[in-house]
Order: sequence, then structure tokens, then C-alpha cells
Amino acid sequence: MSPVRRDPRTERKRSRSWTAEPAAEAPLKTIDDPACLVFAVPDLTDDKLSSHDRDMLGAARLLADAQSGAVVVVAIAGEDDFAAAGADRLIEVGGDAFTGYCPEARATVVIAAMAQFSPRHVLFPDTPTEGGHVGRLVAARLGERAAGNVQHIDGTAIERRGAGGSLDYVMAAPRVLLVAPEAAAPVSSARFEARVIAETSAEGDHRLIDGGLQPIDPHAVPLAEADFIVAGGSVVSPWDACPGAAAAGGATEGASRVACDGGAMARDRQVGASGTLVDPRCYLAFGISGAAQHLQGIQRCQRVVAVNTDRHAAMVKRADLAVIADAQDVMAALADLMEDMRRGD
Amino acid sequence: MAIDVAVLLSAGRHPVSGRGRRAPGDHRALEMALGLSLPRAIHAGDPSAPMLGDYLGMGLDGVTVLDVPSDADPVPAFISYLEAAPPDLLLAGCRAENGEDSAMVPYIIAEALGFAMVPAVAEIVSIDDGSARLLQALPRGQRRAITAPLPLVATVDRAAPPPRQSAFAKARRGRIDIIDAVAPTDIDRAAWQVRPARQRPRRLGTQVSRLSAAERLSALTDVPAGTGRQLVEPTPGEAAQAIYDYLIEQRILTPPAKAKTKDQSP
Ligand SMILES: Cc1cc2nc3c(=O)[nH]c(=O)nc-3n(C[C@H](O)[C@H](O)[C@H](O)COP(=O)(O)OP(=O)(O)OC[C@H]3O[C@@H](n4cnc5c(N)ncnc54)[C@H](O)[C@@H]3O)c2cc1C
Ligand SMILES: Nc1ncnc2c1ncn2[C@@H]1O[C@H](COP(=O)(O)O)[C@@H](O)[C@H]1O
Repeated sequence: MSPVRRDPRTERKRSRSWTAEPAAEAPLKTIDDPACLVFAVPDLTDDKLSSHDRDMLGAARLLADAQSGAVVVVAIAGEDDFAAAGADRLIEVGGDAFTGYCPEARATVVIAAMAQFSPRHVLFPDTPTEGGHVGRLVAARLGERAAGNVQHIDGTAIERRGAGGSLDYVMAAPRVLLVAPEAAAPVSSARFEARVIAETSAEGDHRLIDGGLQPIDPHAVPLAEADFIVAGGSVVSPWDACPGAAAAGGATEGASRVACDGGAMARDRQVGASGTLVDPRCYLAFGISGAAQHLQGIQRCQRVVAVNTDRHAAMVKRADLAVIADAQDVMAALADLMEDMRRGD
Repeated sequence: MAIDVAVLLSAGRHPVSGRGRRAPGDHRALEMALGLSLPRAIHAGDPSAPMLGDYLGMGLDGVTVLDVPSDADPVPAFISYLEAAPPDLLLAGCRAENGEDSAMVPYIIAEALGFAMVPAVAEIVSIDDGSARLLQALPRGQRRAITAPLPLVATVDRAAPPPRQSAFAKARRGRIDIIDAVAPTDIDRAAWQVRPARQRPRRLGTQVSRLSAAERLSALTDVPAGTGRQLVEPTPGEAAQAIYDYLIEQRILTPPAKAKTKDQSP
């Protein structure tokens, strides 16, 4: 840790402009003659690297660097800035076989690439239905003993959790690794080449038929599990438009404590330190000031959108998109717009 | 048509007291199996383990125990037993609670028997015409519908309905059928170092560690700032459009059907 103290306010401004032009300034690292290859197979859910994918790539980077190796990203049906995420090489896999849920086809294509390039390690994010599943299919087909729930990497040794979470096993990294979230920090300090070494569009073998995501009742989803939350504060009244906006967007409703105190919302909808800690992919807040106790509840949110008449509100500072306007009017307009788009006007 | 369901039941271990118990994932698998038919219940391990009674008490006639030492690899025993009488549907928990718990056991069995495999099942909707319609549990309360051919291995997610209580009287009536099995000792395992799980500090926000050290510090001590696009005093219509566009751009909302194809982004 750096002992230098700085004024956090100036720091934040400075680093914000730094993130605006991301890794373009980061130094480029090239590895021309790797001693071994480390495959990293991200989930690429929604076609993009997830934060779990990036952690797994960070782990792949550690294993490659410890052995003078190179990281090869096997990118199945998705694109992203793999160079910034730590890829020296890239195997691009596309084609119709990879639309929808196709774990068996993914396993087949990874095994084919393993046969071609003989990587020393192959890493997947240990997600129950995606990477963790595909990785276990690969290990079972090849007769490899996979290490699941990998928590930490130190040189070429790994630590994996077992026995119902009560014990850690330390061992030499095996061929197939299924990496837990936050097992390693994502790559941030450098760019890599991400040079394409193979492109395939393999035929997939499918025994499973993907029936798609089921429509779910957002109200039945506990707040803590919600993917998208539309929340209202004390000033939102009448409340009719908030459920409207939430329903049209398939969101789950949340509220500030003051709104719950007022009886506008049930207590189980309260977001915050004394309510529910939430981590949706997006939190849309109408007329919520952003008191510290409320912000604690949304600390892990990936994206925040705030609508507030006060441009100095803490929630506006926290927001990725802030709209300085009347919450009631915007809420109604948004509900109408989403309804129109859904009907295809 | 009666379908032949088998379910794998491992020994659980209470995280604090260390006492044996039914494994929390596996008793959901048993609950799901009991909803389909009277299943064949299989355990590999010690036939005298008291926790077998907890499973029997859920309404089984008996449990088949493949008698292997508790530190041995149970998989070869499972495979030879199941190859002799393969079920239509084999249910297991998502991961055991005792020992390695790599969640590999169902996968190796599926591979050896040539069965299809579906992970993290929350519900079996129906079984007919040689296939099963299932709902798979995804993060955030989402469900994916999957149709899979029989024979099939499925692991049961924690989102599946909770198990019924175990009744003592039923547990006493249940049979334990012991089958002698050979199990190789697990050699790899001797090379592992084992230590109590260490709680590592969790990271704060998802983006935090992609930031500079100074920004990480401020994220720890301060309210994290967003990336700060601002729209000042728009009309309600403009505001709604801006929010809508943002939600589409960030893939929070899926665009209406006509624009849904994948390859359109420039
Ligand atoms: C121990 C303790 C625990 C707490 N736990 C929680 C908790 O878990 N969750 C929680 O939420 N709170 C909690 N609180 C309360 C918290 O401190 C705040 O009082 C509360 O979050 C404020 O709610 P609010 O933003 O809805 O209301 P207000 O603070 O009244 O803010 C209203 C906001 O709406 C804006 N506004 C006004 N009119 C409009 C308009 N027409 N259009 C758009 N915007 C408008 C204002 O600018 C303001 O920002 C806790 C407090 C304590 C002491
Ligand atoms: N010894 C065992 N006896 C019965 N079932 C087992 C045994 N070991 C594993 N299983 C099953 O396989 C699942 C995954 O276990 P594991 O691969 O050990 O994490 C468990 O939830 C059980 O359903």
C-alpha cells in the first residue's frame, strides 16, 4: 500500500478522466516464444466479459506469468477487449452451433482446441450452469481431475475450497481449473496482444434443447436476487407510475426507508443498511437522496441511474447516468415509452 | 409409464458441530425424486452411518449402500452398480458437503454411462416420450427451460423446493441393503495440503480493482462515484428516452424483437 496521502476529491476527478480513456495508455506486453499455453474460456454471457470472467483471466495471467507462458482466450460466441483483459492469443469460435445454451458444443470445441495446442492449463469461471458445467464436462470426457472452486493462486500452486466450505486444499495446479469469483484480480496494468491464432465455427453436438429463459414474475424475485431494480423515494406519490415503469421493464421494485415508513411500499422492499443489500446489474432510483444507509445497500450495484431534482444529491454523484428532472413526470414517460416499445410501435 | 429414478445421497457434515447429517443439496434431490416415483436411493460409504436414517425417514423403503471406505473414491463403485441396472433418470446434489466436493461425481458417472447431463435443476416440469422438460436455476431468480433426452443425469439446485421433514418411525422401518464394493484409495489426495478454510477479504465493488490504487482507496473510504453522465432539465420525454437508451446499451433491457439479432452491433 502506498503511504502517500492525497486529497481523495482531486484524486477522484483525475482518475475519472483516466478511466474515460481506458487502457489505451497502458503499456503493451508481448510474449513471442511462450514456454507453455494457458487457456482461459470465459462465459461471455450477453456476449461480454463478466466480472467473474475477468477474475478468471486474472488467474490465467498469474499461472502463465509464473511459467513464462502465454494466455490464450478461447472466445466462444462473443467479443470484447480481450487485449485489455490479459489475452496474448485468441481462438475465435463462432457459428450457429453456439447460439443459445450449448454446453456440450462448447465442451467439444474446447477439447478440439486442447488437442491442437496442448495447453498446460485450461481455466473456466466456476459458474454452475456455464463455465463450471462446461469445464466439468471437459474434465469428465478427458478423464482429468478438475480442481473446482479455486480460491487463490500462488505461483503454480492453487488453493481450492472443499468439505462444505470448511477446508482449503493446496495442490499443484492441475490441467482443468474452475475458478471462483475474486480468486485473482482482473488485469489492469497492461495491454496484451490478443493475436488471433485460430478461428473455428465448429458444428455443435446438442442433446439438450434450449427452451429459453422463462418469463418470471419480478415480484416473486427476492430483492437480494433481483437483476434490475426500479426504486422510489419518499417524494414519489402517487406510486402507480413506479410499478408501471418497473413492470414494463421487467424490473423488481424497491424503495427507500422513508417510502416504506410512509406505507407506500412493503417493508421487504426496503433497500439499504437496515433493509436489503442488493446487487442488481442496474439500479434505477427515482427521487432518492442517497443517504449513507441507503447507499450501503447498493454498494455492489454495477450501474446506477438517478432521477432527482437536486443535482447535488449523493445519489446523483453515485450515478452512471443522472437525470435532473421531476421523478414523477419521468417515471410516467418512461413507463409509457417502455410499453410502446414492447408493443412494437 | 413408470420411470426408473435413482438418486445419489452423500453424507453431510454440519459446518459447525461437524456432526454427520443428510447433505443439504442431496435431500433436495431426494425430495425431487420422491415427487416422481419411489426412487432407488444409493449411498457409497459407511452402511452404519446414523444419517442414513434421515434420508429413510423422508419416505424411502430402503437405501442401497455401496460399502466403501469413507476416504476412498466412490465413483468406480457407482459406475459398476449403475451399469448393471441403469436408471432412466439419475438425480444428485450439486456438490457434496464432505471431502473433496468437487461436484465431479455426477459428471464422471454421466460420461461413463453415456447419459446427457443437466446441471442446477430447480424443477422437473414433465417426463414423457423419452425426454424430460426441466427448469434450470440461473442467478437472480431466473429460470431456463431445457428439454433433455432420457437417460439423463441431473443435479438439483438449492433453488429446488425444500425437502420434507424426516419421520423417525419411517426411518426405523427402512431397509439398508449393503453391497460390497471395491474402491481404489485416492492416491492424488495424499499430495494435497489441507487446512481450515481461510476467509479472504472480499472486494468492494465489481469494478473497483480495475481502477487505480488511489481510486481503490477512495472506493473503500468514500461513496463510490458513478461514471457520471448527466442530463440537466430535459423534458420528461427526453429523459425517458435517455434512460431507455442507456438500459438497452447496457443490455439491461433487450431491444424489441425486430432488432434482436446478434450481429447488428457495428
Ligand atoms: C440507523 C438508520 C438506518 C437506516 N437505514 C436505512 C435503509 O436501510 N434504507 C434507507 O433507504 N434509509 C435508511 N435510513 C434512512 C436514511 O438516512 C434516509 O433518511 C432515507 O434513505 C431517505 O429517503 P429518501 O431519499 O426517500 O428521502 P429524502 O431524504 O426525503 O430525499 C428525497 C429526495 O428526493 C428528491 N426530490 C424531491 N422532489 C423531487 C421530485 N419532484 N423529483 C425528483 N426528485 C425529487 C430530493 O432532492 C431528495 O434528494 C436509515 C437511517 C438510520 C438512522
Ligand atoms: N459417497 C457418495 N454417496 C452418494 N452420493 C454421492 C457420494 N459422493 C457424491 N455423491 C453425489 O454426487 C454429488 C456431488 O458430489 P461431489 O462430486 O463429491 O461434490 C453429491 O451431491 C451426491 O449427490
